[in-house]
Parts: sequence; structure tokens; C-alpha cells
Amino acid sequence: MSVKYIPVQWNPNKWKYNAVMLIGVFAYLWLFIEWTPAIMSNDGRINGQIHNARAFGSCAFLMLTVILCIGPLARLDKRFLPLLYNRRHFGVMTLFVAITHAGYIINWYFSFSASNKYEALLFANTSYGQLSGFPFEVFGIFAVLCLALLAATSHDFWMKFLTPRIWKRIHYLVYFAYISVVAHVGLGILQDQQDKIFIVVFIGGALTVAALHILAALQERRSGDPDALSSGEWVAICHASELREGYAKVARLSGEERVAVFLQDGKISAISNACAHQNGPLGEGRILDCLVTCPWHGFQYDVRSGRSPAPFTEKVPTYQVKLAGDQVLVNANANPPGTFVEPVPLPSGA
Amino acid sequence: MNAAESIFFVAQVWATIGAVVATAFLLFGIDRIDEDARGAYIFRPLLVPGILLIWPLVLWRWWVLERDLDNWRNRHAPPRRAHLFIAVMFVVAIPLIIAVSWSLRQEWQADFEPVKISLLHGSAGQGDAAA
Repeated sequence: MSVKYIPVQWNPNKWKYNAVMLIGVFAYLWLFIEWTPAIMSNDGRINGQIHNARAFGSCAFLMLTVILCIGPLARLDKRFLPLLYNRRHFGVMTLFVAITHAGYIINWYFSFSASNKYEALLFANTSYGQLSGFPFEVFGIFAVLCLALLAATSHDFWMKFLTPRIWKRIHYLVYFAYISVVAHVGLGILQDQQDKIFIVVFIGGALTVAALHILAALQERRSGDPDALSSGEWVAICHASELREGYAKVARLSGEERVAVFLQDGKISAISNACAHQNGPLGEGRILDCLVTCPWHGFQYDVRSGRSPAPFTEKVPTYQVKLAGDQVLVNANANPPGTFVEPVPLPSGA
Repeated sequence: MNAAESIFFVAQVWATIGAVVATAFLLFGIDRIDEDARGAYIFRPLLVPGILLIWPLVLWRWWVLERDLDNWRNRHAPPRRAHLFIAVMFVVAIPLIIAVSWSLRQEWQADFEPVKISLLHGSAGQGDAAA
């Protein structure tokens, strides 16, 4: 979190996250570079430059695999939510590892000639019309460009400037980058790689990513947020008796707009379910001291006004609430972000 | 100019325009459209790579925010339906790519030894590899 783009919450968890990530990367590279020549079947024929390229390349693949597992895991089981907390730093680190891999490759396979090595990378193999011997480098180039774009637009400024909606659409490129990486590895080193550990890790990792995503999507489809029942501009969200103190009921209003209806101190308030930061699901957060905390990155909002506590300036839309018997109704026309709405007391006995 | 040179030329032109946009935006524009950026300078160099890459989008958003055309409702409607599309794409594309790649694999004999087939200068042949 930041105030005026000055980080104010590099708390111990963030430091720990980064420390574990860096230690993991260095430990993997050290193990690969120092230990694998003895256990990989064909390493006797490659030199140090290629070995380093493989170390960084496999590390980047594993990092991207882990990054892409975090999202669906967090949707399937909330215990994985802390891994989401600092995923952007993970992504930026992956870019640097991937660039190092590319550097080793370019400075070995595409150097030592009169041609510009970067141009040689593009024209050394142009067999685009055949699968066997396909210039798999192009998939790697695409993936690095995608990762570079994601890293370059990872600062919080970009989310606010572009809006979370556009920012997220740009960052969906990570999925195409991953497919591109799978093609890069599959049509590249997999073609003559005999090492069984590599084959199991590559195929197992890629299939795990695919399986987790389909499992999470199916779960979301099965038990996702219900549609609100509309009768004009007021829509029914739930029965008052279903509300739990400190928690929310979430319902979809129209399109992708969702409302989170909270019960706090026996009173009902409604705010947008989408956090102003990265559109995290506020309705999955819990209220403490009048503030609901976004489960993704810890941004907080007063559920009566949709405002973050000072010095933070984030705001989310609020909704008018009323009761019709036991039914909790919300006015589907959201108030502008940060508009205070008087909470509606829960009738006694509800 | 070959195709590779053309690609690098286009990239250079793109980045040069991006540098001009970055200079104008970070010196003048950002203060006009984002109150949080006023008086905050240290983070601005971090934005340069992004502007170099997506400067047309930066210009468009700058124009929208300058003219107060931004719809705040769009900020609170995340495209969550894309999750299903991505999951289906993954489930189809990843196994397919692995299956195709696996079918193309070349099997080498266990006692295969690499053979040097050419040298930069002079003659070359299997005799070199055997030597």
C-alpha cells in the first residue's frame, strides 16, 4: 500500500515474502548449476554457458508455473491467499531470470558471427512452415515481451491510471505468455532432452497449471456469487437472517458489478465488492473496527462510506439499503465512490 | 533492409516516440490528472519503461482523464468471466502443445556421439570428430 505513491506498508510479511522468493531462486540456481551435471544424463556434452542458460530457463519456467498456480489455489482454498499478497514482485523477479536465460542463449548461439546477434536471433531459423525444427525461439521472445510489459506496468500508479479493468486485461497476457513458454520448451529442449526429472517437472508443472485453472473456474461456476433478484431499481440480496455479524453476503447486480452487503454492529451497509486497488473481493473480507479488509492486499474501507482510513485515499461505491420484511434490498444504482450511507438497523429478532 | 532490421527499426521508432511521450507526461501531464502524483517524484522513473511500451494507451488515458470522461463505474466491475475462458484455453492448449511436442521428439541411440560436420575455415569431416 502506498500514500501518494510512497510505500508505507512494507511490513514484515512483505520482507519475508521477498526473502523466501529470493532464497528459493538462488537455492534452485545453485543446486542446478553445482549439482545437476552429476545427475543429468547428457550434461557431459554441454558447456558452462549452455548449462547456465538451462538453469535460468528452467528456473523462469518454474517461477511462472508457481505464479500461475497461486491464483486458482487461492480461489479454491483461502489458506493460499497470503501467497497472492506480493505476487507482483514474484513476477518482476521472473522477468529478470528469463532475461538472464535469454542473455546466455543469445551470447552463445547467436554470437560469433558478423551479424548483429539480436537480428540473428530473428532470422537464423525461419522454418515457420513446419513443426519439426520450428523456430521455437519466437515463443520465448513473445513470453519475455509479455513479462516485460507486465513488469513495466506493475506499479500501483498503472492500476489507478488505466483502471483495474484495463490493467487486468493487459495482465491477462501472462496466460498467453505461459502457453508460449510451454511451446518454447516443448518444441525446444524437450525435443532431445533425455533427463527424466526435467520431463516430469515440465509436463507435470504445465498440466498442474491447466488442471488448477479448470478446477477453480468450475468451482466458481458452481458456487459463485448468486444473481440479485431484481424488481426495478431495488434488488433483493438475501434474507436479513442470513447475515452474520462482521461478514458480507455478495450478489451480482448486472454484468460484472457485484455488491457486498455487510452486517456491522447490528446495522446493514452495502459497498462495491471490488476493491479500488486491484478489484479484490471485499465481500470475502471481515470487518474489524468498522473497516473491512481486502483479502488480496490488505486495503481497508469503512463500509458506511466506502472510504479508506486516512492517510489513504482509496474509495469504493456505496449502495442504498432498505428492508422489505426479512428481505435485504439494495438500490442497484451505485452511489459515487466514497458517498456516506446511513446503515440500516437490523430489526430485533432477525 | 531485411525483415529483422525492419523489426528493430520499427522498435526504435516506437521507443523514441515513447521517450517523447514519457518526458511530456512525467514532467507535465501526470500532475494534471493524478492528485496523488503531485509532489511525488521518486516513483516517476519507474513508469518510464511502461510508457515506452504502451505510449498510445498512455496518450488515450491522459486525454480521457484531462477531459474528465472517465466513468468511475468501470473501475469496479472486474472482468471475472475471463477466468472460465482462460481455464478452457489452458486445458485445450497445454495438453495439445505437449502432445504435439512429444510426438516430434527425436530419439537418439544410447551410444550416439556428436559429429563435427563443418568448420568455419577449410575442410571438415568426420575425421575431425574422430581425431
